[in-house]
Amino acid sequence: MRRSEVAGAGALAGRAAGAPPTGRLRRSEATSRALRFVSTYGTILALVAMVIVFTILQPDTFATVDNVRNILNDMAIGAIVAAGLTIPLVGGDFDLSIGYVASFSGLLVVGLLSNSQWPIVLAVPVVMALGTLIGLVNGLIVSKIGVNAFIATLGTGTVVVGLNYAYSGGIPLQLTHAMSFTDVALGRVWGIPHLVLAMALVLGLLWLMLNRTVQGQHIKAIGVSAESARRAGIGVDRSRIVAFAIAGFCAATGGILMASNLGSGQVAAGDGFMLTSFAAAFLGSAALREGQFHIVGTFIGILTVAVGNNGLAMIGAPIFVQYLFSGTLLVVAVALSGLGRRYARR
Amino acid sequence: MPVGNAKRLVGAPPEPPLIVLRNVGKAFGAIEALRNVSLDLRRGDVLGLVGDNGAGKSTLVKMLAGAHDPTSGEILLDGVPHLLSPPAQALRLGIETVYQDLSLVGSFTAAENFFLGREIAWGKGPALFRWMRRRAMMDAAVKGLEDLHIEIPRIRTQPVDRMSGGQRQLAAIARGAFWGSKLLLLDEPTAALGVRESREVLDLITRLSARGLTILMVTHNLEHLWSVCNRVVVMRRGTKVADMESRDTTMEEVVAFITGAKGERDLAGAPLANHGA
Repeated sequence: MRRSEVAGAGALAGRAAGAPPTGRLRRSEATSRALRFVSTYGTILALVAMVIVFTILQPDTFATVDNVRNILNDMAIGAIVAAGLTIPLVGGDFDLSIGYVASFSGLLVVGLLSNSQWPIVLAVPVVMALGTLIGLVNGLIVSKIGVNAFIATLGTGTVVVGLNYAYSGGIPLQLTHAMSFTDVALGRVWGIPHLVLAMALVLGLLWLMLNRTVQGQHIKAIGVSAESARRAGIGVDRSRIVAFAIAGFCAATGGILMASNLGSGQVAAGDGFMLTSFAAAFLGSAALREGQFHIVGTFIGILTVAVGNNGLAMIGAPIFVQYLFSGTLLVVAVALSGLGRRYARR
Repeated sequence: MPVGNAKRLVGAPPEPPLIVLRNVGKAFGAIEALRNVSLDLRRGDVLGLVGDNGAGKSTLVKMLAGAHDPTSGEILLDGVPHLLSPPAQALRLGIETVYQDLSLVGSFTAAENFFLGREIAWGKGPALFRWMRRRAMMDAAVKGLEDLHIEIPRIRTQPVDRMSGGQRQLAAIARGAFWGSKLLLLDEPTAALGVRESREVLDLITRLSARGLTILMVTHNLEHLWSVCNRVVVMRRGTKVADMESRDTTMEEVVAFITGAKGERDLAGAPLANHGA
């Protein structure tokens, strides 16, 4: 074998394997840098732009301490559910059941308190455990049986809707006993709403789990390359199951807080969390990191949605505009996130 | 010869080879990927495994890595029959594998990849309650790389997919050497690299060998093989057709074995496959 042949083959293979190219680029350097910038800072730019616009349009009401507290309070439950969803997303799995789990959890906790007259300290942990259990079942179906997560969680989510109707008959439940349950969501500590504190606590714990524990490291590794993780001796199935369980726990927690906030159990009140959570998570993946899901990003994503809705309501935009806004945001978020992944490591 | 070995020669029986494959076969359904392969891997060997595509090289490596169990025959580690699967078991036994696509997690730093699946952490029990000691892992990985004289810029902060292909390969091999107390398996370590980067990887392999690590390396590049390996094993159609000291043969002869122009030869002392079976 001649040396020149060896060299030629090596260089060709190097380029094919994605080594940093030294010569021409397919796309111009400037374009790809611009796309990378948008996919890394797009969400934050959109958030800042909205804050500026709404502040100019509503100088007396938008940028006030009261309104900031309103926005944080309104987004808190959605942030908890979305942050929970972020964990399986980081591990590379979708969970479509979270909204239905939130709805059922809210209804069930009111039912247990009012109809069964359970004490709050029993009803709340039981419903949280049930949400975690549904997450575990999702994880088992996806990892051990190998059903596509999209289909599996759509299936379990639909089963949860069935359980919801079986329990309630499709009729909303009013809170008739343990009236102090509403304090869980509506109370304040030093002027800070409980919901905001709960959001800070859950998001803080999830951030620590993902970034500081061995479990979080494994979930992140699986999301990037399940095969590399498996070869390194990581229990891939176990980590995926834990991720789904965390999402189920957060969905149930969100549902309970929602019921406390409303003082009743509505049959479908939490279903919308699914869409807003995905929108937030995808928006978040276009914030600071190039197309990766992360907790801080999801918080920024939820904040973006909340600021948009709050501002639109404040300037008196008709309700249909809010739907147009949310829907467009979701599509743009997913597009940004895709750009990020495509141009991240070039 | 080192003093320790000289003493041992007086009374105790000689050390068994590190790994012995005894009449090992592997069938995937009706397809026999490996037939009756016997191979001794001595401590300190740097063995180059060559053969055409589909000759059984990868199956052999995956078997040693614990990804497949043999369907016949047995594998002895230090003279004791061992089941190497699952891969985590092979890792526990001191066998490390650097796969062709490197098995690194792209968004992690070299240090994070070093300790992937073997994190240093406070606490016991489920991974959920084990707190990573990031500084300790970072320091250990950086020291491991320094010990091997591997210099990678911004090693503490740079994710591996921002590194060049050669740096990634060096980091992946260094990870294997860091953990691999007994055997390091390298699948095409220079296949995706340019000339200078290949040189660096081959230099690293030489340094690891000088430290006494046993290495088995699959390659298509005979020049690279000759520059680091003391043994050549040629596979063809699922069997071992040659097992030679590289100083006793030539590239031309090895190519002849690979293509089938030449029959079987065994100068390394291991008995060849028994064709009566």
